[in-house]
Amino acid sequence: MDFHQRQQERLSSKSVFYNSPCYEFLSPFRPVQNQWVIKYIITIFAILIRSAVSLGGYSGHANPPFFGDFEAQRHWLDLTINLPISKWYYYKLGYWGLDYPPLTAYHSYFFGFIGKFIRPGWFQLDNTNGIENDDLKNFMRLTVLISDVLIYFSAVYFFTFCFFKSNKKITTNGSQGWKKFNSLNQSITIVLILFQPCLILIDHGHFQYNSVMLGLVLFSIVSLLYDQLSIASFFFILAISFKQMALYYSPVIFFYILSLCFNPFQKRFDFPRLFAVAFSVILTLVVMFAPLVIFNNNFKDGLLNIKQALIRIFPFERGLFEDKVANFWCVTNILVKYRTLFDLSTLKTLSLGFTLLSILPSCLVIYFHPRKNLIPIAFASCSWGFYFFSFQVHEKSILLPLMPTTLLLSNVNDDEIFKMVCWVNNIGLFSLYPLLKKDELVLQYFVIGFLMNWLIGNLNINCVVNNFKNLFKVKENSIKNWSINFVIISSTVLALILHGMEVFLNPPSRYPDLWVVLNISFSFACFSTFWFWLNIRMFQIRNN
Amino acid sequence: MPKKTRESRETTASAAKSTPTAAPDSSASLRRKPRSKAPTGHPTKKKFSLINIWIAGACLKILLFTAYYSTDFDVHRNWLAITHNLPLKDWYLEHTSQWTLDYPPFFAYFEWALSQFVPQIVKDDGCLSIVEVGNFSVPTVYFQRSTVIVSEILLFLSLQWYIKSSELKEKQKSFVVASSIVLSPGFLMIDHIHFQYNGLLFGLLICSIVSAKNQKFLQCGFFFAVSLCFKHIFLYLAPAFFIFLLRSCLNIENTKNLKGLKKRKCSNLELLFKLINWKRLFGLAIIVISVFTVSFGPFVYYGVTNNLFRRLFPFSRGLTHAYWAPNIWAIYSFIDRLLIQLCLNVPIAPKILNKLGFAESTTSAQSIKSLMLNSSSTKGLVQDIEFVILPNVPPSLTFFLTIFYQFFSFIPLFIKPTFNRFIGCLTLCGYSSFLFGWHVHEKAVLLIIIPYSFLVIKDKRLLLTFDLLIFAGYVSLFPLLIKSNEWVIKVLYTYVWLLIFYKSFDEICSSSSSLMTRRVFYLDRLILMYIIGFIPLVLICSFLDIFAIKIPIIKKLEFLRLMAYSVYCSVGIVSSWCALNWLYFLDESLWN
Repeated sequence: MDFHQRQQERLSSKSVFYNSPCYEFLSPFRPVQNQWVIKYIITIFAILIRSAVSLGGYSGHANPPFFGDFEAQRHWLDLTINLPISKWYYYKLGYWGLDYPPLTAYHSYFFGFIGKFIRPGWFQLDNTNGIENDDLKNFMRLTVLISDVLIYFSAVYFFTFCFFKSNKKITTNGSQGWKKFNSLNQSITIVLILFQPCLILIDHGHFQYNSVMLGLVLFSIVSLLYDQLSIASFFFILAISFKQMALYYSPVIFFYILSLCFNPFQKRFDFPRLFAVAFSVILTLVVMFAPLVIFNNNFKDGLLNIKQALIRIFPFERGLFEDKVANFWCVTNILVKYRTLFDLSTLKTLSLGFTLLSILPSCLVIYFHPRKNLIPIAFASCSWGFYFFSFQVHEKSILLPLMPTTLLLSNVNDDEIFKMVCWVNNIGLFSLYPLLKKDELVLQYFVIGFLMNWLIGNLNINCVVNNFKNLFKVKENSIKNWSINFVIISSTVLALILHGMEVFLNPPSRYPDLWVVLNISFSFACFSTFWFWLNIRMFQIRNN
Repeated sequence: MPKKTRESRETTASAAKSTPTAAPDSSASLRRKPRSKAPTGHPTKKKFSLINIWIAGACLKILLFTAYYSTDFDVHRNWLAITHNLPLKDWYLEHTSQWTLDYPPFFAYFEWALSQFVPQIVKDDGCLSIVEVGNFSVPTVYFQRSTVIVSEILLFLSLQWYIKSSELKEKQKSFVVASSIVLSPGFLMIDHIHFQYNGLLFGLLICSIVSAKNQKFLQCGFFFAVSLCFKHIFLYLAPAFFIFLLRSCLNIENTKNLKGLKKRKCSNLELLFKLINWKRLFGLAIIVISVFTVSFGPFVYYGVTNNLFRRLFPFSRGLTHAYWAPNIWAIYSFIDRLLIQLCLNVPIAPKILNKLGFAESTTSAQSIKSLMLNSSSTKGLVQDIEFVILPNVPPSLTFFLTIFYQFFSFIPLFIKPTFNRFIGCLTLCGYSSFLFGWHVHEKAVLLIIIPYSFLVIKDKRLLLTFDLLIFAGYVSLFPLLIKSNEWVIKVLYTYVWLLIFYKSFDEICSSSSSLMTRRVFYLDRLILMYIIGFIPLVLICSFLDIFAIKIPIIKKLEFLRLMAYSVYCSVGIVSSWCALNWLYFLDESLWN
């Protein structure tokens, strides 16, 4: 092998991450005997960043009488350990009644049990509403951290391992493409997914347990990659029974499994498999809901309990959207006042119709091409559709489409995907700004946003300058590349300008919410652009 | 078929990555053989820049803005207020708050300079008001925390200078040393959570070490004098610098010249005159004196010197701190506690002790009880600790022991002043002052670790003692952060730091040829076991901490937890000191 050949090979094995600080930090541990150190470093720094963020404020801090999500979760820990199961879904509906599926309740029970063991004073039903102190905060933060590490972290590790293995085999275009799927790039991908800023800020800053649900969904994706359909559906049902929002993904996983078991177009009729999946779904659901019936006076009360739980879980009586969210309904609501024009049932039908339409492409693609490397992109497309059009969406729901979108980064061969996904992650973070500002997490917002972009090399001076230069070289680039570049640069600049305006200017007194409205409209525009790109991309790669 | 070959090639390639030919990329890494970078001839210009580490570190440190801070925060805020509001002559007289200014003048100047940059919003927050107890909120915290991050740049610059000034083949090693220091959990815990400006201070110290490495003696003297005027704790290291610089003014190594002089039959006086490098001597003297004049001069002019020195050297404090720093006195106090319990609970123990020469009046159970009632020492939460059975330790003894052990390390340095010996001597100075000093803070362990980091890359034999030191030294800092919120951060950060650098130092330390014969197998295993012992220590102590409020018995044993930390850590530090002494005095080849 002569020098040039080797040089060539080296260049081809360079991924988009080359020259990024993240690469620089991890490459010293590249030799095989040191690979295990990398895993430790990534995991521990991911935990460190999370616990550093968790030192900051949380939702509803010192804000009586209702406080916020922190108090909601504490209240659930409180009520699950102090009340029998039969009363969980009936207690104090006006305050922070339990309105998540049973697995959340069991999860709360588990941590509440530990918490009560450590400090009984934290959980004294009714007497401890809105209790706030450092140790309690730390305990609650730790419960999130532990659930996050155990479920989400391990799922991410499994996913990248599995995805890289399968991709190494199937990458045939370009003689050296497989080289990019080396273990160092695998580690960097893990960094990218674990350091996703929105999830860190919402779970460990704002305070929620989204990572548990997302981790379970990720486990289900991993099982799909391993062709274990029953296990996949088991995990998926667990995810749904943790947080009903996991239903955003359900059409895709349904059509994927259906296509593998029953597909007349490709002459696949695997009914035993379909039956196994159905059995696993039903069994998991029964196990999840059974305690609601068993620990009850009689069977009839048990059924009523389940009915009450379902009413609490699917609150169709609430509005079309909550607060200000960057989806279709909220943004167009600025011009068209839906709530005055239509009544609730019309709105429900309307949103159902739009949602079905929006998820159609991903469902069709995954049904006709049930290929493993399409799974993340189909999940993403489908959940974006839900985010835009479904009923009762709030700003934190952005985490759902962002999770599979971030998974796309594990396709290290593709610069375009890398750019677009980084961009949409940034815009997603931007759309959370009003919420985080309310929670006194502005410092954390900027630091985490900067850190993530810097770590993967987006802020590399040469890279930024090059992008700007390309903006003026219309002829040399293809139209597609140029327009992607243009969209990314212009929107990033615009987002920064919006931040600047918010700091230096007061909104006009007539429109006190002007900055928030601008924020969500802008984010919606970017999101929908991304969604169109994503769908086109999905059609393009459906066959290779 | 092609698939298969590709796979097999991939495995071989990954297996061969550690060898230089297979992976040109990894030549930039901390491989076992950094020398092989040159022969391959690839354009691998690794910059060894610390800038990325600074950025990443700064991000983490900014997130720690909201973390717990100790009273030191209010101390420094008060100094800001004093230096900003009062004329120079009153700086060391002001005593509205109990946190009077007790650092040397340069640090006061530094605080004055910082106070010039205080923005209006922070002033309104009460940052610059001289009050008994500081009344401030978020803006002050953000401001002062960011000054720590900014002032730490000096540490990065000094270490970048160190990397730059080292030879090409040494750059890899220097980079590991530099990154180990800038990422040190000591700085993270002490500076960025507990709140102090050690990054700045050690930056100055490192500047003088680097100048010594470059044989720039005047520079070295200048930087050390400056750092001394920033924080007088560096006095502990001053003897080593003094001897090293003094020795640099003698022309002995030029033996030919000396012989020539003897042949020419010069008079002894003339010989003495020729022996001394007068130019350097005067240069050093002028530099050091002028630095001290600039620093202390104004206060001498205003006649407040007495006050100043009383503030700098408060001898009224006790032998050990509330939490025993892991040194000899921790073990000494521990033995005392042990003997008390023995005397109280084992009937035969007092008699044995009497035979061993202890007075009966101290060993009888009654006298112990009355003594314990008188002095609340057993709680350990007071500043003064009196020993019940063992004799009390006067300050003069600690002073004597420190000087005694420092003195021995000077002798080899004076005979052969290589840079390695100098750093060895510096480390030993740090050790003896830490182990035997009067009222030592656990934070002072950085005085040992930082110089030692420069030394450890020289030889693998030093690595074992270094490992002992860093594990014991950094874990002993844990009780500094008492809140539960930072527990995850302090423990995991220290853990990952130890993991990274345990591994990296192990890879880059040059192994000497005699290594195999000299290594003591069982000692290795013993040290490993000691290190693993930290895991149960930290976990058990933390669990006891959690249940301290719930179970009153544990609450009473609060001091026991701290004692466990300090005694266990002091065992490690004392044994690493012994091992380093052994190598320093008996292993000539290591130091030349």
